[in-house]
Amino acid sequence: MDFIYAVVPPQVLNQIFVGLSRTTILFIVSSGMSLILGVLRIPNVAHGSLYMIGAFMSFTIAKVFGGGATGFWMALVLVPVAVAVLSLIVERGLFQFLYEREHLMLLLLTFACSLVFGDLVKLVWGAEYKSVPVPHMFQGFVPLFGGIPFPLYNMFLLIVGPVVAVILWLIVNKTKIGKIARAAAVDREMVGAVGINVSWVFAVVFMIGCLLAGLGGALVAPTVSVTLGMDHTLIMEAFLIVIIGGLGNIWGALLGALIFGLSQSLGILIWPQFGIIFPYLAVIIVLLFRPTGLLKSTW
Amino acid sequence: MRKAFYVSMCFMFILGLFGLFSPAFSADTIKVGIVDTYSGPATTYTQDVLDGFVLAVNKINAKGGVLGKKIEYATRDEKFKPDIGLAMAKELVMKEKVDILVGTINSGTALAVSDFARKEKIPFFVTYAKSEKIIGEAGHRYVFNMNENTEMAGRAAAVALAKKPFVKYWICGDDYEYGHAIADAVWNNLQKLNPKVQLIGKSWWKLGEADFTPYITQIMGAKPDFIIVATGGSSMVNFQKAAKATGLSQKIPFYQHTATELGTLLSQGKEAPEGVYGTSHYLFYFPESPANKAFAEEFMKTYKRYPKSSAFVGYMTAQFIAEGFKKAGKIDNEALIKALEGLKLDSPIGPLSIRACDHQLELPTYFGVTKKDPKYDFLVSGNNQIVSPNDYMPTCEEVLKLRKK
Repeated sequence: MDFIYAVVPPQVLNQIFVGLSRTTILFIVSSGMSLILGVLRIPNVAHGSLYMIGAFMSFTIAKVFGGGATGFWMALVLVPVAVAVLSLIVERGLFQFLYEREHLMLLLLTFACSLVFGDLVKLVWGAEYKSVPVPHMFQGFVPLFGGIPFPLYNMFLLIVGPVVAVILWLIVNKTKIGKIARAAAVDREMVGAVGINVSWVFAVVFMIGCLLAGLGGALVAPTVSVTLGMDHTLIMEAFLIVIIGGLGNIWGALLGALIFGLSQSLGILIWPQFGIIFPYLAVIIVLLFRPTGLLKSTW
Repeated sequence: MRKAFYVSMCFMFILGLFGLFSPAFSADTIKVGIVDTYSGPATTYTQDVLDGFVLAVNKINAKGGVLGKKIEYATRDEKFKPDIGLAMAKELVMKEKVDILVGTINSGTALAVSDFARKEKIPFFVTYAKSEKIIGEAGHRYVFNMNENTEMAGRAAAVALAKKPFVKYWICGDDYEYGHAIADAVWNNLQKLNPKVQLIGKSWWKLGEADFTPYITQIMGAKPDFIIVATGGSSMVNFQKAAKATGLSQKIPFYQHTATELGTLLSQGKEAPEGVYGTSHYLFYFPESPANKAFAEEFMKTYKRYPKSSAFVGYMTAQFIAEGFKKAGKIDNEALIKALEGLKLDSPIGPLSIRACDHQLELPTYFGVTKKDPKYDFLVSGNNQIVSPNDYMPTCEEVLKLRKK
């Protein structure tokens, strides 16, 4: 290892790994947002709320099944599905009536939804902070570069990120719904003209996008306190990631999340007092040179 | 006809929203208006302030009230926004004609409402905002502070930390007023009390930061002896979780104000890290006095949960208002203020008094460390060291000097 350390100090390597594990959650949530933005043209402000609901649901599941492995895996499976079902109800009940209207109307509707979801969460789970325990198999840490401990759960996230990316790639590129969705993103009239029910394509895409928000919530729950307002912090970051990646481009979301996560963790190392500004600096630099985002926008 | 019915129903509903149908105050009541945050993460504390307050008020009213008058209260949600909070306080005074204002957790709102209270000559009891400006720079005759402020918390921690052998310190925290105020208060006082300490680095993160792992791994690489973590609210829990996951809590001891409070420890259950230093001004299990036990049991019986420190603050605020009027002998705000100055009351944690010079409640601070306790399914504050208010409160001269500026 020593020869690597001569080039890159262990602290830097360590920060890169921590940054990458953080990127996982950001990527999962913002890719869902980007998918919805690309196909349905909805800047979904309620996306963060679904992520929050996902986190609260995993709290309930962890409580019902006990904080062990069963509860954790159940949450990872059940929560995204439940969030997807909820999103389907919202999409069929509200959103589908506004697709023909201006984007502004949809934006307002998603904003209203985020407020309603916030209050719903308070009604169902109350105002107290909740905490989901890290499942026993992921408790603890391994000494990584230079003996600096690296949490096992973050290691797990490092595996989940690429797995989700590959599954997404397969869905978007290899399945029929993926192909139709990509076509609808470019020209929805044409897709309708060849006899495909665009309305249902939208519903399915919306569901997949929201499923990812729920998955993000379930994955983040063991690492943070599950609390009201966790949606606001996330939605800001997710929007920035989607913008620097290129609106509606899923791979842009991946790239944006990488830039965001890594610039933060490395920024902390360079200047810990002002670590917070580095992701935003990165956003500014990207937008200065590529105002439409790094990858091709579908807008 | 039907249309008229619907319209009038809607109209009545809207009037209802404005609170015109809330229990009307009559002349033989003392009216208290509470402005606080009842939506968003802060609710975890503010609900307890309200519940503690209501518990005390119901007890007082059951015993016949104060000077034959019952205490009534009305609440408004300021949504953690000072402009809304100020508007709500004005509305309570103008429309509901409240005699007394109580609130808020938001320091910005507390300062805005305090200024309004001074102009209207209405006593304002600050329940959970921690800015030292409330009693200091912006202090005046009509404002009372019923909990500790950042300066006091920082000094109390410094008094306790100065006795420990740590030398190399790292400071990190939320990049906003509360974070910086706590960190400065601890550090400035610690330097005075123990000149040997040195600061090897600082890091600041944005308010609401959820993932502390990159910050913690960086700090661990720098190898300080001790870390002062100036954070609050849900970030307390986030930091403790990350500290446990990275093994920080076993390797480098750290201090967080309110780390040992129930609000921080309850949600994590047995999973919270042990060995975290913290300060708190109320613990329902310490001191183990009959009075404290009685209060905790009473709160538990009414609300089916343990009282947090904010519940204690709400409870004592109502007690001080009632006893203040009793001592004054009449329902008059100027007389109430005179009566409250220096008033000493028995509380669940022993006698407490309001300092006459600056209207600050003199509270002991408990400096403790988190540990498991077989009696509870969450961690508690152990090895509690009581820091007396005399040891850490700024003197009257110091506070009044701030006001003159």
